[in-house]
Amino acid sequence: MKISRKKHHKPILPVNSMSDIAFLLLIFIMLISLMNYRREIKVDYPEAVFQEITQADKNLEIWVDVNGRLFIDAENIDLNKAEGLIAESIASDPAVRIHIVADKNTAYRNINQIMEVLTLLQHRVLSLVVKEKQL
Amino acid sequence: MKIRRKKRNLIDIADSGALSDLAFLLIVFFIVIAVFNINKGFLLELPEKNSNRIVSTDDLIRVDISNTGLLTANGSPVEIRDIEKMVAEIRKVHPNMTFALIIHPEAKYQCVVEVVEVVRQMEVENFSISMMEDKN
Repeated sequence: MKISRKKHHKPILPVNSMSDIAFLLLIFIMLISLMNYRREIKVDYPEAVFQEITQADKNLEIWVDVNGRLFIDAENIDLNKAEGLIAESIASDPAVRIHIVADKNTAYRNINQIMEVLTLLQHRVLSLVVKEKQL
Repeated sequence: MKIRRKKRNLIDIADSGALSDLAFLLIVFFIVIAVFNINKGFLLELPEKNSNRIVSTDDLIRVDISNTGLLTANGSPVEIRDIEKMVAEIRKVHPNMTFALIIHPEAKYQCVVEVVEVVRQMEVENFSISMMEDKN
């Protein structure tokens, strides 16, 4: 009697579904990009050769343009509102890192007012964001 | 007459290597996105509210930045590259040296960053930053 062997089939994936996978990936990547979207203000970054990574797990960026206007999340705010937002941010997570992203031509008084707010709120660490200087 | 259909061979994706290419491209994409969002600069430690420290004048370097960006160290005009040498020399004699940076309110932020860069590079522990009294 002939014993028929069980045929082993290699697992195969239909190629037709490849386009669906690619489409889903595209949507996924677009969503991730939106989540990482950084709302920027047009500033000329100050430049430095030496720098260190100042990014933390939780960050709050305060943007200062050349005219001294303050922005948080691309929204133009006054100092009082900035103080409120910083205080709120520190209250929700005391380890939040505050970054100042300021135009290199802005007057120092605009930076100092933020430092004063942070001193008042007893937040001790501040990051001054710079761009790498091209030699 | 029976027409025989041509049998289509399905391609095994796992064997074709397309998935590994795709995974590699995704990894590159995420790395690039992650790098874009990293802030670089200087970390400053701010003083406590109303905290004053008494420092011996021998241990102190006072650097002023004028409204035009001119630097003076202990009253004498200096260049930014001279500050590095000055800090190194004074630190040999006074290891607990304090660097006090006094800035004019109208000084450009770039000038401040240049001095802070030197201070951070030289790993000066006692660093104080303050603004000159606004006379306006």
